Amino acid sequence: MSKPKTSLDFRKNSVEALADTAMREAMRNSTAVFSGHREQGFSTVPDLESWRDRASDIRSRVLDNLSEYVDKFAANATSAGAVVYRAKDAEASRDIIAAILRDRGAKKVVKAKSMVSEEVYLNAHLEEQGVEVVETDLGEYIVQLAKERPSHILAPALHKNRRQIGELFAKHLGVDYTDDPEVLTKIARKVLRKKFLEAAAGISGANFAVADTGSIILFTNEGNGRMVTTLPRLHIAILTIEKIIPSLTDLSAFIRLLPRSATGQIHSSYMSIITGTRNPGEETGAEELHIVLLDNGRWDILAGECREILKCIRCGACMNVCPVYGSVGGHAYGSTYPGPMGIILTTMLEGMEKSHPLLDATTLCGVCADVCPVRVPLLKLLYTLRERRTKEGLVPSLERTAMAAFGLVVKSPTLFSWGQGMSRISWPLLSKIPGSETLERLPKPVKDTFRRRMS
Amino acid sequence: MTRENTIDIFLKNAKSVGAGTVLAADLDELKQSVSKIIEDTEPVYCPGKTDKEAAVIPPEEKRAPDYFSAQATVEEVFGAIAETGSIVCSSQDGRELQAGLLPAHHVAIVARENIFSTLDDFFSSLGPEIPTNITFITGPSRTADIELTLTVGVHGPERLDVIVC
Repeated sequence: MSKPKTSLDFRKNSVEALADTAMREAMRNSTAVFSGHREQGFSTVPDLESWRDRASDIRSRVLDNLSEYVDKFAANATSAGAVVYRAKDAEASRDIIAAILRDRGAKKVVKAKSMVSEEVYLNAHLEEQGVEVVETDLGEYIVQLAKERPSHILAPALHKNRRQIGELFAKHLGVDYTDDPEVLTKIARKVLRKKFLEAAAGISGANFAVADTGSIILFTNEGNGRMVTTLPRLHIAILTIEKIIPSLTDLSAFIRLLPRSATGQIHSSYMSIITGTRNPGEETGAEELHIVLLDNGRWDILAGECREILKCIRCGACMNVCPVYGSVGGHAYGSTYPGPMGIILTTMLEGMEKSHPLLDATTLCGVCADVCPVRVPLLKLLYTLRERRTKEGLVPSLERTAMAAFGLVVKSPTLFSWGQGMSRISWPLLSKIPGSETLERLPKPVKDTFRRRMS
Repeated sequence: MTRENTIDIFLKNAKSVGAGTVLAADLDELKQSVSKIIEDTEPVYCPGKTDKEAAVIPPEEKRAPDYFSAQATVEEVFGAIAETGSIVCSSQDGRELQAGLLPAHHVAIVARENIFSTLDDFFSSLGPEIPTNITFITGPSRTADIELTLTVGVHGPERLDVIVC
């Protein structure tokens, strides 16, 4: 069974993942379905490239003036009735949220899916403080019951098949085993509806935050995001600073691209624009809204050569088309964010020394960059980081030695010719060495080489 | 684009995302279509605050006292967007957005003059003061979290009907 990895040792993790046939089967089906949906979603769009240009320009403008936009958002959200906090790192954000809940005696919390809360390990921290945290997105609820972490940023339980989910529900919810997705969904509806109505607080992330109005924006399909933000009297939102867009008129660019890139939908089932707290005369809206603006390394990323990764709107398209992600699944990355955007963001957040093995998780085919709706130059960034890894001497020593030797040999025609001859003679011997199975997948050296025929 | 055109595009897109769609010519037709849609459902919640809502209030024996206990909610919503087939709910004027969220069936009435052609038209129409909650609803509640099998009604309504009047 696919277990969440806590180490970023991609080579080791991926070998284990490739041996997990159930997970591979699930991944093969789902990434193909996702990519098909995306293509279908854009098939009727007359001018996709101009949509991408507009969205990319907006995201670049935000990054160029981020400090100004963050201040503007904070000021406008505050005047709409929200309390805005700035958290420097994961620990600070967890402490702020724990304190808000503690001060109000809130012991039961319902949560809408938020990758940022995964990034800061919020649930574990709140549970340590005696708070019951219930994930309400169906996929997130499934991985919470399994005590795992999401393997995809949009479909957290993508790696699980229906039988595994059926067994999980039977074990934890005291219901009869079924593997019918419709019945399982109805069971979750009933169990979670009770949790929504009992909860003292709701915690959500945000897909975007609007500087001009101080609003936060949530895209969901299930409706749990709407419940979390309207049923409890207290709503806490956690988001990272780069999620800001300048104004509501900019939102249309992202409504057109985000759902289509993610699932092929013309629009997600729900999108909420939440601006401050309930006003006099209103019957909807939290009485208290707390917004935690998290940095967690973003200012440093912004100052460096990989700043464009902060344009990302978390649609998941890059992982859905990635041949590596499709083979090994999200857990093999061992990081909060998997796939191409995940490799880059994780390396920036965790540092090269810790995350450099993740830079092997790419074929450098570049399809990710082709599908990115906001034109994050993913391929260029992957190259940049791989070059930096080599410069910092973090490539495995065997690979480094082999590359140095190869460099030496190709510089000298005599050595090269001798090497070609030697490789042919020694090949049968080399392939007998235990652990050299990869040689079998390579073409065998021939006597009549291209070089010989040309000379 | 003419108004009729915008209405057509809205209805076509709303249908494509899984909503039931009706075009009612007047209050009488509205009344008939609502009673037909909720024929086998009870209890039904209807706030009765707008003229259109007042016209479709269900008979007393079928009425739910609040949306928590209702099987269906019938309400007039703020507007709609043709481009995406979405209806727009807003918390202004004391509207309860939860009423269209908790029951299994949501029947939304949209006044024909409140349908916006594009997303940009809608956002440019908003003044500087916006209500606490604006929600776009595009089809029923759905999930594909189990083997990417599409299932409706996970948390919100499993059925959405939209009536333009």
